[in-house]
Amino acid sequence: MCAARSGHEPAERADPELDKLLTLVARGDEVAFEAVYDRLAASAYGLIRKVLRDHAQAEEVTQEVLLEVWRTASRFDPARGGAAAWVLTIAHRRAVDRVRSEEAAAAREQRSAQAPAPAVDEVAESVAASMDAERVRRCLGTLTELQRESITLAYYGGYSYSQVAALLETALGTIKTRIRDGLIRLRDCLGVS
Amino acid sequence: MRLRRRDLHALVGAYALDALDGPERDRFERHLRRCRACEDELRGFAATAAALGMAAAAAPPAALKEQVLATAAVTRQLPPVTATSRWRRAAPGRRGARAGTNGTFGMIPKMATVVAVVALAAAVTLGVITATTRGSLDAERAHSQQIAAVLAAPDARIVTGPTSAGGTATVVASLRRGAIVFTSSGLRVLPSSEVYQLWLLGPGSARSAGLVPAPASGGTTAPVLATGLANGDKVGVTVEPAGGTNQPTTTPIVVLAVPV
Repeated sequence: MCAARSGHEPAERADPELDKLLTLVARGDEVAFEAVYDRLAASAYGLIRKVLRDHAQAEEVTQEVLLEVWRTASRFDPARGGAAAWVLTIAHRRAVDRVRSEEAAAAREQRSAQAPAPAVDEVAESVAASMDAERVRRCLGTLTELQRESITLAYYGGYSYSQVAALLETALGTIKTRIRDGLIRLRDCLGVS
Repeated sequence: MRLRRRDLHALVGAYALDALDGPERDRFERHLRRCRACEDELRGFAATAAALGMAAAAAPPAALKEQVLATAAVTRQLPPVTATSRWRRAAPGRRGARAGTNGTFGMIPKMATVVAVVALAAAVTLGVITATTRGSLDAERAHSQQIAAVLAAPDARIVTGPTSAGGTATVVASLRRGAIVFTSSGLRVLPSSEVYQLWLLGPGSARSAGLVPAPASGGTTAPVLATGLANGDKVGVTVEPAGGTNQPTTTPIVVLAVPV
C-alpha cells in the first residue's frame, strides 16, 4: 500500500533516549530539560504555528506547552506512548484550545469564510524537506482525497470534525469514518505502532 | 442523542486529532475508560498525529529557549500521580481531565491558572535577568524566591482584569503568606512625572503596596511583591506623582478583588 515504508525507520519510532530524558526532567533536571527542548521545540513550534497561523501567538503557546512539559513531566508514562507523541499531543491541544477560545474563533471563522481552506499541497509542501516530512507527505498521498482533506483540516487547520464536515459539504458520519480510516492507513504507511 | 457503542468507537480518530467538541469529547472519554481496544487504537493514532506534527517543524525564535529554560527554573513541578490520587483524578466529569486523555498522556490541571502563572513566572524571570545585569544579584535572588513562593503557595489564587489605562493587570495572592504578586502588561506609558502605585484596599483604608516599575520593552511590568495582605482586601492601582503618595489621589485604573 505504501512503497515508501520499506527502507525507512518509522516516523514516530520509539525513542528510549527521549523517554529517559523526560524521566530526568520529572526529577527537576534542567540539563535534561534543555536537551528535550533542543529535540522537540521546533516540532512543537512548527505545529502550533501551522494551526494558529500567527507568529506571536505561536511563540506564546509554544512557551506554555514547553513549560507544561516541565511541570507535568512526572505524569509522562513511556508505557502509554512515546515522549514525542506526548509533547506534540499537548502542543496540538493547546493550539486547538487557543483557536477555539476567545473571539479568535469568531474572527478566524470569518476569515476562513473568505479564504479557501488551506490546500493539502500547501500544507504538505511547506513542511521542511526532512526525511520524516517527506515520508509523511508520501503517506498522505496514499489517502483518498476526502480522507486527506478531513485529516489535514482537522489536524493542521484545528477544525472540529463538524466544522470539517461543513467545509467539505459532507455528512458528519462520513467525515467521522474517513478520519478514522485515513488515520489507520496513515499509521500503517508510516509504520508507527 | 445517545450514541451507540459502535458509533462512539468510530470517534477515536476525531478524538486523536482534537476534533471533538466539549460534550461529545466528554462522552468519548467516558467510553475510553472502559474500552481497551480504543486505547490501543488511540495510541497508534496519537503517534501518527505526532508524525504529522513533526513534519511541520519550524525553528522557533532563538530567544524562546532562554525564556523557557529560565522560567522553568522558577516553576514548581507537579508530583507524580500515586495510586490514590490517580483514582481520584479519574473521576468522571472533572474539569481539565480531557487534557489527560484518560491518563494516556497524563493529567493537566486547571489550564487557565497554569497559563497565568506561567505568564507571571516569565515576568519574574525577566525581572531577575534585568536585576542580574545591574549586579544586585543576591538581593534580587532572595526577592525572586519570595515571589516564587507566593506563586507556588497551595492557596495561591490568580485574578486578572483590564485597566482603564489599557492592558491588563494580574494578581496572584496567597492569604496564607499574606502576600500578593502583581504584574501587568500593556499599560499606557506614563510621563516621568507620574508613576503607577499599587494599593491594598481594605474596608475604609488604603495601604501602599509599592510602586509599579515602568513597563519593559515588551509592555510587561516586572512583578511587584507586596506583603500585609488581609482577608477581604482588594488590590488597586492608581496614577500618582513620581515617588508615590501616602494615600491614593486619583481614581484607580483597576481594582481587583482577591478571590478566596
